[in-house]
Amino acid sequence: MNSLPVQPIGTVKGPGETPNDYLLIAPDPERRVKHGEFVYYLALIEGETREILGRVTGRRPVRLLPDSFLADPGVPPATVAALLGYESEATELFEITVRVLGFHSAEMGDFINPRVPPMGGAPVFIATDALLGQVLNRRPQGGRGSAFLGSLLSRPEGAVPIALDVRGFTGTHLAVIASTGSGKSYLAGVLLEELLMPHNRAAILVVDPHGEYSTLQEMMNLGEFSEGNYKPRVRIFRPDQLRVRIDSLTVGDLRYLLPNLSEKMHYQLGRAFNFAQRSARNGHYTLEQLLYAVRQSAESKKESEGFDEDDPTTGALVWRLQSALGHSQIFHDFENLELEALFKPGQCTILQLNEIDRRDQQVIVATLLRRVYQARMDTAKGKLDRGDPSHLPYPVFCLLEEAHNYAPANADAVSSEVLKTILSEGRKFGVGIGLITQRPGKLDSDVLSQCMTQCIMRITNPIDQNRIAESIESVGRDLLQELPNLSKGQVVVSGASVNTPVLIKVRRRITPHGGQDLDAPAEWLQWFAQDRAAEQARAQALFVEKKIQYEDDGDVLWA
Amino acid sequence: MTDLPIGKIVKSNSHIDYVCQVFGQGETLHPPVPSAYGFGSFVAVELETAGEPDRALVGLVYNTLLMNPEFGALGPRLSPRSEVEIFSPDYLAETATLLGVIAIGWLDGVGQVHQGVPAAVATVNCLVRRLERTELLTFHADGTGQPQLRYTPLLLAHNHALVAPLLLAVIDQLGELFPLSRSRLTVMRNNIAWKSIVQPAG
Repeated sequence: MNSLPVQPIGTVKGPGETPNDYLLIAPDPERRVKHGEFVYYLALIEGETREILGRVTGRRPVRLLPDSFLADPGVPPATVAALLGYESEATELFEITVRVLGFHSAEMGDFINPRVPPMGGAPVFIATDALLGQVLNRRPQGGRGSAFLGSLLSRPEGAVPIALDVRGFTGTHLAVIASTGSGKSYLAGVLLEELLMPHNRAAILVVDPHGEYSTLQEMMNLGEFSEGNYKPRVRIFRPDQLRVRIDSLTVGDLRYLLPNLSEKMHYQLGRAFNFAQRSARNGHYTLEQLLYAVRQSAESKKESEGFDEDDPTTGALVWRLQSALGHSQIFHDFENLELEALFKPGQCTILQLNEIDRRDQQVIVATLLRRVYQARMDTAKGKLDRGDPSHLPYPVFCLLEEAHNYAPANADAVSSEVLKTILSEGRKFGVGIGLITQRPGKLDSDVLSQCMTQCIMRITNPIDQNRIAESIESVGRDLLQELPNLSKGQVVVSGASVNTPVLIKVRRRITPHGGQDLDAPAEWLQWFAQDRAAEQARAQALFVEKKIQYEDDGDVLWA
Repeated sequence: MTDLPIGKIVKSNSHIDYVCQVFGQGETLHPPVPSAYGFGSFVAVELETAGEPDRALVGLVYNTLLMNPEFGALGPRLSPRSEVEIFSPDYLAETATLLGVIAIGWLDGVGQVHQGVPAAVATVNCLVRRLERTELLTFHADGTGQPQLRYTPLLLAHNHALVAPLLLAVIDQLGELFPLSRSRLTVMRNNIAWKSIVQPAG
């Protein structure tokens, strides 16, 4: 048991509305009992005095100075009370609602609810920083498997550091939900920094549709990230370096990439795909071989026993395949992003998908996730040898920015299915997914509810708030109400990586932040400082007489 | 040494609400000064002790009343006041100071103190004296030396305009007697002051 603070903050009044709530009365002149603050009372549990921790969820005044005392803004109401003979400073009393979390059991690594409200009149204390640091974190800051995200918001910065359990969110997935400008990319940057610290050395892939994460490269040069021989590696794949080998596309991917397929084309594409797979050597085939398969599988061929280029279905399919795959830099006959190049412990690979068409992005992500998942399954089941390029003998973590593009609600995307599979089954094979989205309302609710760790930042849109409330049970209603009021860099973390939902102020990033907004006024002013002077000089410059050479007959030879 | 009597019981309005007449000139050798029976003073009403278990009632002065038959007689007097003292001294005795005393406890025969409604009844002419400081301390201390105010409900139930100021006066006195317990007395004082001062004014 920890040493007690000297003064209690309030006194238990009695049980609250629900079995897990209790009420306390506090004068709180120093305004220490904030929303979300942690308080505790002492109770005897199995012969041992335990601190039963709870979180403040409500505050209601039960005694206030009368309104009529507030008539003159220049006269403090307490002086009016003193004028009448009430000279005490104790003019306010509050009824505080506390949600019981329970006492922290070191053996269980979790809170255990005593399932009985405290006795009326029991003193209630503000939890000390040391106690909170001990019970809120599953892992000590800087310890193996910890990701130090920031410090508890209700305390001074740095007083109670909060470290997420990396095992929790890499196993059962992570969702970062925040509206634009609330700092979600910054938070993701902090998470990635932590994952690449010497005590974690994770194998990470970041899908970066805006090219915001390139600043992470600085990690390679900073001393904070290296230890002994270890130094993190950050690899960036720019859009022109991305490759998807055509034979890694499924028939579903092909159907998704090809626009406006008729029923007949669907059917023929399926047949052609099977044909190409059957006839391919080592499972590999090129676009040309796929086109050959399309021609081979034409319905009319059976009868005429020859190619029929005039068959409209075959022609249309060939044309579509050519235009979707043949003219693309990404889809390639032989090259592929090799998994062993993408995933290595201590390496963060950033796939920059900016300037790439939305559907192509979805196909790239879908094929990649499918391959990673298959590779991890095959490796876990011992199907792959050490030398195989798909051999992935370590768990991996994939972070998807703008995740609502890859698993949209009420819309069909080729990546949705594989994402759902990994989210529900990936835990067994060590494929962790982190989803970052600014529109949870646009994200598939099944996908969101499978992420067991949630980092939620400011959300003001009511549709998005409702989606969060529907999909995420671990965040209490009281914390959801806080979401519109959060400031930049403040985050509610709940779920499998923390012992209880906590409000955190995100720590400063070690590497510079790459996702800052463009400062338009500054750029405009800069134009006046530099470009305009040059333009004026150009405008005011005298014309230079050009020497024109004429041919003998008077025609202009060149100017 | 016990304080000198300040007066005697002359009437009661209820089992706990007595009227004490303060001794005037000529009734005792040392007539009490007004500060001896001020508002909020603790007094002891000495009981007839023959065969009775209780020795005295403990009371609290909650009200005072002046009796003056001369009030309203506005006509001219034939005899000046100095002559009245010689020719009709009984007339002078008709002016009196009356105290409203509420019984809030008792002292028993073995020196124990009790707070609450006493079983014993004071009789007319029982002497009333001021409670000494040590008696006041003993009367208010519980077994552990902490102050007790078990007669508060009795006072609050006594429907009188001066009950709240009376309680505030009592608590202030106890604050001096029990300096170590001032915090708990302050809670009670603030509560009464809030209800009697701030709330009605709002």
